[in-house]
Amino acid sequence: MDKRILFGGITIVVLVGLVALFSASNVADRDLSANRMHGSVSTTMGSSVLGNPDATITIIEFGDYQCHQCYNWFHNTKPTIFQNYVDTGKANFIFVDLAFLGRDSPKAAQASYCAEDQEKYWEYHDVLYASQESQIDNGWANSERLKAFAFNLGLDMDLFNECLDSEKYSKRVQYNISEAKKHEINGTPSFFIIGPNGQEHQIKGAQPYSVFKQIMDSMI
Amino acid sequence: MIDTLKTVFSNFRYVVLAVIIFILMLFSLLLLSEYVFLEPYVVSHIPDGTEFGFSLIVMLSVLSSLVIPMNVYRISTLKRSKKKMSGGIFGSFIGAAAGACSCGPVGFAIISTFGTVGATASSFLTNFEIPIRIAAIGLLVVVYYTTVRSLKIECKINHKV
Repeated sequence: MDKRILFGGITIVVLVGLVALFSASNVADRDLSANRMHGSVSTTMGSSVLGNPDATITIIEFGDYQCHQCYNWFHNTKPTIFQNYVDTGKANFIFVDLAFLGRDSPKAAQASYCAEDQEKYWEYHDVLYASQESQIDNGWANSERLKAFAFNLGLDMDLFNECLDSEKYSKRVQYNISEAKKHEINGTPSFFIIGPNGQEHQIKGAQPYSVFKQIMDSMI
Repeated sequence: MIDTLKTVFSNFRYVVLAVIIFILMLFSLLLLSEYVFLEPYVVSHIPDGTEFGFSLIVMLSVLSSLVIPMNVYRISTLKRSKKKMSGGIFGSFIGAAAGACSCGPVGFAIISTFGTVGATASSFLTNFEIPIRIAAIGLLVVVYYTTVRSLKIECKINHKV
C-alpha cells in the first residue's frame, strides 16, 4: 500500500515536472488567450513594457533593426522622449517588430527574443541599434554577429545559440509583422501613441521630438 | 556662362519653370527622405548625421531647376535635339529614386509587391543612396556644361543667321 502511494507520488511529481519542462520550452508559443491590447493594437507578441506599467500613455514602436530611419529616431529622438516621459513615469514603451527590409531583419528580431529568455531584451535591443551599419544585409546582423552581440552581453551562449538556430521565435516575429500589416503600417518606424481614454494617434516616420511632445501633452 | 544663363532666364517663363521645378523637386525629395512630414503636423527637421544627405538634395534640386529649363529653351526656341533634355531628366530621376527606397512607404510597397527581387532592389538603392545621388549630381553637372556650351554655339549661329 505504502509502495503504491510512493509510486503514485513519484509519478505525479514526474508528470508535474514534465509539464513544467514542456511549458518552459514553449515560451515561444505565448498564450494568445491572454491577449495584451493597447488601444486597438495587440502587443502580446511584442516586447515587454519598458517603464511604468501604470503610465497613462503607451508608445508602441513598429521597427526594423536594419532600418536607418529607426536608427535616426533611436539616437536623435528617443533619448529626449525617455528623459521627459518614460523615465518620469508618464509613459511606457513597447517595441513590435516589422522586420521586412532584408533577410537579416527577421533573424535580428528573433535574436532579441532569445535575449529576452535571459532577461536581456532591452540591452540586446539597444546593442542592435547601436551596432547598425548603413548597408542592409551587409553581414552586420548575420547569425555570427548576432551571437557575438549576445556573447558581449554575457548571455548563456548554449541557450542563445540553440534558441537562434532553431528559429524558436520565428512565428512570434511573423505575428508581429502581420499585426503591423493589419493596422496598415507601411514603413518603419511607425508609432502608436495610446492615451488614457483609449485615444490613438499614429505617427509615421522618424518624426522629431516636438511632434511626440505635442501629442502626449494633449493626452496628459 | 553667365551670358548663357542671362539669355535663357531673361524670359520670365523660364524663371517660373525653374522655380516650379526647384520647389517640386526639393519638396518631394525632402518628403521621401523624411526631412519633412505632413501628418499629424507639418514639420521639418534635419536629424544629426543626415546633413550631408540634405545638402545633396538641395544641390540636386538646384541643378535640375537649371538644366531642365535650359534644355526646354534649346528645344522650343532653337529647335534642337532632345538628347540633353533626357540626360537632365534621367539625372533628376535617379537622384530622386535613390532616396525613395528605404524604410518608408515606397520601399515597403516595392518589397511587398516584388518580394525578394523588390527587397534586393530596395536594399541596393538604400545602401548606395549617397553614391547614387553624387552620381546623379555629376551627370547633371555634365549635362549643364554641355548645355551651356552648345547654347553658346547655337545662339551665335542663330545670331549670325
